[in-house]
Amino acid sequence: MSGIRWAYAINQWKPQFDDFVRREAHERALKTISIAGFEGVELTSGTGRWQPMGNPEQLAANFGSVAGFGRFVRGCALTAVSSWVYDPSERSMEHLTGSLSPLSADDVPTLVAEARWYAQALAELGGSVLVVPAGPAAEDKPPLDDAALDQLAATWNAVGAAVAEDGVQLAVHVDFLSSLRADGALDALLARTDPALVGLALDTGELAVAGIDPLAVIAARGDRIRHVQFKDALAVDEAGEYRQPAAHWTVRVRGGAQEVPRWFAEPGADGGRLDFPALTRALLDAGYTGWVVVESDQSPHPAQSTLVAGYLLQRELLPLTSAVGSGAR
Amino acid sequence: MTAAPTAAERAIKWSYMDHWRSNGPAGPVDQWHSHRTMSAFLKQVKAVGFDAIDTFDFRIWQMYGDYGGPAKYQEMVQDHGLERIVNTFHAADYDTRTYAPHLPETHEAILEDFRVTMGRWSEIQLDNIIVMPATLAYDMEPVTDDKLKHTADVWNKVGEITAGFGVRLTCHHEFFCGIQTEADIDTFYSYTDPLYVSLFVDTAQHCIAGLDPVALYDRHAQRVSGFHFKDTHHVAAPGEHANRPDSEIMAPTTGKWFYEMGTPDGLVDFEAMMTAVRDNGYTGWISVEHDKANKEGGDYSESTAISRWYAKNVLEEIYR
Repeated sequence: MSGIRWAYAINQWKPQFDDFVRREAHERALKTISIAGFEGVELTSGTGRWQPMGNPEQLAANFGSVAGFGRFVRGCALTAVSSWVYDPSERSMEHLTGSLSPLSADDVPTLVAEARWYAQALAELGGSVLVVPAGPAAEDKPPLDDAALDQLAATWNAVGAAVAEDGVQLAVHVDFLSSLRADGALDALLARTDPALVGLALDTGELAVAGIDPLAVIAARGDRIRHVQFKDALAVDEAGEYRQPAAHWTVRVRGGAQEVPRWFAEPGADGGRLDFPALTRALLDAGYTGWVVVESDQSPHPAQSTLVAGYLLQRELLPLTSAVGSGAR
Repeated sequence: MTAAPTAAERAIKWSYMDHWRSNGPAGPVDQWHSHRTMSAFLKQVKAVGFDAIDTFDFRIWQMYGDYGGPAKYQEMVQDHGLERIVNTFHAADYDTRTYAPHLPETHEAILEDFRVTMGRWSEIQLDNIIVMPATLAYDMEPVTDDKLKHTADVWNKVGEITAGFGVRLTCHHEFFCGIQTEADIDTFYSYTDPLYVSLFVDTAQHCIAGLDPVALYDRHAQRVSGFHFKDTHHVAAPGEHANRPDSEIMAPTTGKWFYEMGTPDGLVDFEAMMTAVRDNGYTGWISVEHDKANKEGGDYSESTAISRWYAKNVLEEIYR
């Protein structure tokens, strides 16, 4: 057996702010994840009363306490919350804080405090990885210079050290709009950070949309990978539209000039570009242990996405991870 | 930690009755729309842990036309890790002019239908062919002893035909069919031959008809050759079973009769049902169904996941 554990991301169930707010919907989603063969669930941060699973305060408001939410998760036959995706650029209504930037030294104390808030709850829920965006979106701004990379590294080293006190690993995530995807910026950031404190969250779908082969990233930076998100890519940003202003809206959401209706899908979906058995073998070869979170990011049919991914997991991926040590893979 | 028993070691195996809808680019489709949609369906059924599928008789035309026959279609099922096709549901077009079990003058047509039907299925081995044993209630009422005897007579003969193909004839009592009260069901089985006519307990249908499906099962356990485990949130009001022109999907009172098991408002006591299945020593297949799950915003994939979650995490703790 390998040290890989499989989870599924909750984000696909919440396409709009007023969706997925009711307890029965949460229960059905978690039971769907469980019966599809996954052990854990990855949460995404959110703020306000319509984000019942968005942060520790909302967990307490909806489930009595963080521990109460843990009982709810286990009652759905999942063992843990694997990880929490925390985006500091989103405001916190609970803390009355606005967007925080990892490029601002002034924001670091607040960012550290909020990260620990998540990390402490995550540890109580059996999870181990706090995932954060490695840096700001590229948009039409100049590449990150040395001073910016130094500050990013300082921020994430500080956050990584703080959450480590809760037994949680920090992992920085590069999406296809990120300023870290080009110009050697990711390598430069990783070189500036403490490997014990700051790991890499490998998101296969985001890298593929960015035109980066995730297998190459595993080969080159496998030693720094501390978290994995398995999602597939249905299209590639071949024109480099991530450098457009407001690319989050014009490219990621609207689909850019190609009007891509859906950039991402669950592993196993029709039209997917990635070879997940090959990615799994590469992770095993790199000695990766930890969570692999399967996701579709957004899905027109969340339950179907989970089950289709669960089929791939059970038929093709679990046999690979189960064969570790037997020489059978 | 004890390893979970394999399918071969389990007393109970789970089959999925093939109601399904998904959204295609031109609107809702069923799994028979294309080989791609069929594959997606089978993957999802397998992913949640079902062992096999059931199907409908009327699918046989697509099996022959699009897959090369039932055996070839079953190969596709098996390629997805499922064991086989266990049961088929013979959804007959009852008509008092031509095809009505309580009318002896139509019996030869019914018998010929089954001679032909069983031949079509003969390239694979089914366990059961399931029938609604009576016409729509309003075409049979008032239900008399003679009508029950005529009905039993034809199914005894049909059961002999299906037995010749190694397949059990089994009766599934929709809440809107002519034999759905406790008294009529009991009388019907007293007139049928246990060798040739079995009972297929649909938990929701009996519950809607105002019967306790557990008690019914306990009374007829030796005649039971299978189950549809599905739930309902409603019991039919008096007379509602015979509503014209349709009692089910056109019912004025109820837009959705059937639900997957494992929902909070379900009326069927599945834990009691599973306990009864265990205590009666039943072994073999239980079929799970959530007929028309897409009504009122439902989602087949999710309903399938929820029902199988319930089977695994609640029912298998009672008996497996």
